[in-house]
Amino acid sequence: MSARELILDRIRRANGAAPGREAATAAWMRGESGAAPRPAQGASQGAARLDQFEAKVIAASATLSRVSDAAALPAALADQLRARNLPAAIRTGSDSLFRGLDWGGIERSEGPGRIEEPVTVSRAEFAMAETGTLVLASGPDNPVTLTFLGETHFIAVRAEDVMGGFDDLWPAWRARGLNPRTINMVTGPSRSADIGQTLQLGAHGPVAVHVFLIGG
Amino acid sequence: MSIHTPTTRQFKANATAAMADANIQHAMRSTGTGFVGKRASARAALPEFDALRDAARDMKNHVLSHLDLYLAQYEAKVVENGGHVHWAETAQDAREIVLDICRKAQTKQVNKGKTMISEEIGLNEYLEANGIRPHETDLGEYIIQLRGETPSHIIAPAIHVTVPEIDKLFRETHTHLDPNRDLSDLATMLAEARAVLRAKYFDAQVGVTGANMLIVETGQSVIVTNEGNGDLSQSIPKVHIVLASLEKIVPTLDDAATVLRVLARSATGQEMAVYNTFSSGPRRPEDPDGPEEYHVILLDNGRTGMLGTHFQDMLRCIRCGACMNHCPVYQAVGGHAYGWVYPGPMGAVLTPSLIGVEEGGQLPNASTFCGRCEEVCPMRIPLPGMMRHWREREFERHLYPKTVRWGLKGWALFAERPALYRLATRIAVAGMSLFGRKRGKFTSLPLAGGWTKWRDFPAPQGGTFMQQIKARGR
Repeated sequence: MSARELILDRIRRANGAAPGREAATAAWMRGESGAAPRPAQGASQGAARLDQFEAKVIAASATLSRVSDAAALPAALADQLRARNLPAAIRTGSDSLFRGLDWGGIERSEGPGRIEEPVTVSRAEFAMAETGTLVLASGPDNPVTLTFLGETHFIAVRAEDVMGGFDDLWPAWRARGLNPRTINMVTGPSRSADIGQTLQLGAHGPVAVHVFLIGG
Repeated sequence: MSIHTPTTRQFKANATAAMADANIQHAMRSTGTGFVGKRASARAALPEFDALRDAARDMKNHVLSHLDLYLAQYEAKVVENGGHVHWAETAQDAREIVLDICRKAQTKQVNKGKTMISEEIGLNEYLEANGIRPHETDLGEYIIQLRGETPSHIIAPAIHVTVPEIDKLFRETHTHLDPNRDLSDLATMLAEARAVLRAKYFDAQVGVTGANMLIVETGQSVIVTNEGNGDLSQSIPKVHIVLASLEKIVPTLDDAATVLRVLARSATGQEMAVYNTFSSGPRRPEDPDGPEEYHVILLDNGRTGMLGTHFQDMLRCIRCGACMNHCPVYQAVGGHAYGWVYPGPMGAVLTPSLIGVEEGGQLPNASTFCGRCEEVCPMRIPLPGMMRHWREREFERHLYPKTVRWGLKGWALFAERPALYRLATRIAVAGMSLFGRKRGKFTSLPLAGGWTKWRDFPAPQGGTFMQQIKARGR
């Protein structure tokens, strides 16, 4: 017998063969049993939800600015780059949000992350007010390596894509039919406390994360 | 001796040495308070926290009693996504599968995210013996790899290493840098490690990570991290190997959310870890990055033998580390004293299951039974109860030293005969109050040297407990 068969056989012997086991797993997969509580923290609505999202982003040591619409993004980004003393050159994917804008004096290149990336920009598919988390879908539009190789990572998200929390995120995710290779949930810049048990920002991923909330 | 050889049998000697080690004691003093306070604040900020723990426990119990069905469904989903699933009965099987994948990828270097399973199977030593260099990329794991050590905490592996030790280590290792550079600032040290490791991500052909969860609905593996090294290790090389023990299964994305809601809060007190990454399969034709091959190794290594036994509940563990952060024994001796991969209360229960009660049977004795581990466990694992089961098995199998066995037998002789017990205590109390009348205390007592070495023993006053109860008419 193969390792697979031996292992599954041992589990079957321990679990028994009571009738209805398949039905029990099918029911669970359909969400018909075992419902977990839904924290109030993940159920905010409207303007309060956006305020909560902003507060949680900041609590996670990231920063956030609100821009009225997508067209205002290049100017807002230019301001950020100047204020942070960063070069006016960004790396993005082929997301239509970025392709459709006039970037003015900012040089924009497309593609996956390289070993040195001072500034990367991604669009998050969703966000969660519950924890100030950005939810990104990998692919050519937003390559996964941009999320981890950028020294400063800018993430744009539309106000209508900000969910209350996990409980409305997954239904919205399924409804949109998304199936990327990776889902990346990002809550603030990378960090480590491995040296001297002192928390420091900027471990292997970005040193700084800034969120543009579009239409908020 | 290999760093992977268990020293669990010498727990007592290890613990004594750790308590005399100034560095370990210094590190441990600052550990506990940080994690404990942060978890308490996170719990207080989420009114539904304890109800979520109940839900997480119930979900995992459901999974364990249907594990065969879920594993088969999960496997089918991974294959549908273009990935490969390998089943490993033992640590040796898992090591060989990893080596085989590395050889096919013709790599001489492997990058690793933090994975406790890799520690459990002793992967690094095995790869090195076979001519492949593993690079730990988690900062803490990097530090202990350079020191030739195993982790002393499951989420903070280098917690026992002091800043001056890291300073010295970096100067000895990063010899391409100016030997007189200023490393007095912690941020400079972090930046140095970041730069050294950044280059390594682009050298290796294979990346190895662990998995916090495996999701049946989507066939995804999930990693939960703060540094971003796990993601770089799995996104840049051509091959991604996921090392996971087979109980990491959760049915749906919603169930994963339940675990995520309790995991980071219990571990570091964060509401969410910085990175929660859900990965399914190799890169798609349109993808500009990501691995070309995706392998999941499902490790058993004794876990299926725990199903249906007193120790099944241990398979709910999500490796948050809360039990050790709250354990007075762990806080006193640190992780290395436990002598193998998993320290603290979870290690005391899991280790004998994985490497046998002969090797690991000492560890369940490393408990005061204060119960804090069970109190804080996000998966509500009855850790003290399971340690008690191990103690019974150790006793049944004659694994205790003779003095302990005789002592326990002598105690049982009296404890099982109430009349004899009361007579003996009456005589002892009368004798002790007679001899201790003058000073009111004893500075040394036969058979109680362990107590009187450190503090005086008060002379009894007013009869035995039973006599006093009787006198009060209850």
